[in-house]
Amino acid sequence: MVNANKTRLEDQPAYVLHTYPYRETSLIVEVFSQEHGRLPLVARGARRPKSAVRGLLLSFQPLALSWFGKNELRTLHSAEWQGGQPLLQGKALICGFYLNELLLKLLHRDDPHEQLFLYYQQTLQELARRTDHAAILRRFEKRLLQELGYALMLDREAGTGQQVVAEEGYRYVIEHGPVRQSAGQNGVELRGKTLLDLAVDDYTDPVTLQQGKALMRTLINHYLGDQPLHTRQLLKDLQQL
Amino acid sequence: MKTPTSLDHLIESLRCLPGVGPKSAQRMAYHLLQRDQAGAKRLAHALTHALDTLRHCEKCNSFTEVEVCDLCLSPKRDDSLLCVVEMPADLLMMEQAHCYRGLYFVLMGRLSPLDGVGPREIHLDRLVRRATDGIVQEVVLATNFTVEGEATAHYISELLTPRGIKVTRIARGLPVGGELEHVDSGTLAQAVLERRNVS
Ligand SMILES: [Zn+2]
Repeated sequence: MVNANKTRLEDQPAYVLHTYPYRETSLIVEVFSQEHGRLPLVARGARRPKSAVRGLLLSFQPLALSWFGKNELRTLHSAEWQGGQPLLQGKALICGFYLNELLLKLLHRDDPHEQLFLYYQQTLQELARRTDHAAILRRFEKRLLQELGYALMLDREAGTGQQVVAEEGYRYVIEHGPVRQSAGQNGVELRGKTLLDLAVDDYTDPVTLQQGKALMRTLINHYLGDQPLHTRQLLKDLQQL
Repeated sequence: MKTPTSLDHLIESLRCLPGVGPKSAQRMAYHLLQRDQAGAKRLAHALTHALDTLRHCEKCNSFTEVEVCDLCLSPKRDDSLLCVVEMPADLLMMEQAHCYRGLYFVLMGRLSPLDGVGPREIHLDRLVRRATDGIVQEVVLATNFTVEGEATAHYISELLTPRGIKVTRIARGLPVGGELEHVDSGTLAQAVLERRNVS
């Protein structure tokens, strides 16, 4: 028989991605942990008015979680507030939801992504402190794809391996890379400059920002398959108000 | 022995209640049928009656049996103030606190981006129509201090501010009479962040 202690993990750095009601008074908490990736935990009694963890299981806040169990659904034992992250507000909050939806839909359960975790943490800090939200999201999307094993080829042409030229026009072909505009009709059209800007995360040029958005959108849709992104619609609605 | 179809149907129907799984549904069904048939009849009647007569108030969107509810029609209320809450229970809490003399709008939900509940699903267009009647001057956002409640508050303020309406948000902080020792870290951290001058 497996020793229960072996299946118990203490003080794991983690974030709450989403919660769902479970049974009468409990919650299922989808968390993103530094060492164990995304996993679901049952927070027993967390929906009771006097629950000790009720106010702590907030998304976008660094927590130290302890849990036990070795089944699909593990049990949350305790949550400790780590602090240091201002609550996300306004547009930054909606952007935060977008990050969480990407992680919920693109990360496999129990797949550790330590680098991505650290980058997520940094991105939340940036969202709280800065206003160039579009650039922050594009950079996160790029890192996310890279962590998932779909790193973008940006500064070289696919096939030929030639250096991308800022003044040339290209098409970005999914799972292939950039090709000269004249080479076909498939793929997202963009400037060589956009590709080179994206390669070094320079989003100061508005055209780069706009083309970068179209590119990331196409790529993310491809990897999501048929799953819709609800938060993208909300960001769009907000933009159009 | 096979469960009779009508019993099966009852058990299945009870499962639409939040937090009721197959076991609880079965227990409830047996209780109603065996121990409290009169109660079961009353329940069935009350449900049908409520479904037939209740509707949403034209003005505040809460449940009522008439077109516009008593609270919305009351001449004692300040009709330049409109408080937005998520659920009817929140409205009742506000009333119990005797702190507010304006009118209400009940969303009957909140934005929940990750569950696919967007502005259309909670009919924010109805709130906009209500708030822009020319009489409302200030909208007080009293949605929950959850991430969803905050997102809802932000979205509404983005909708109403450009329309020339003053939008305010109820404050959060330590409970009145509360001791620091017993408050949760999240509340305390935010209270420190949102500290104000003492004059
Ligand atoms: Zn009313």
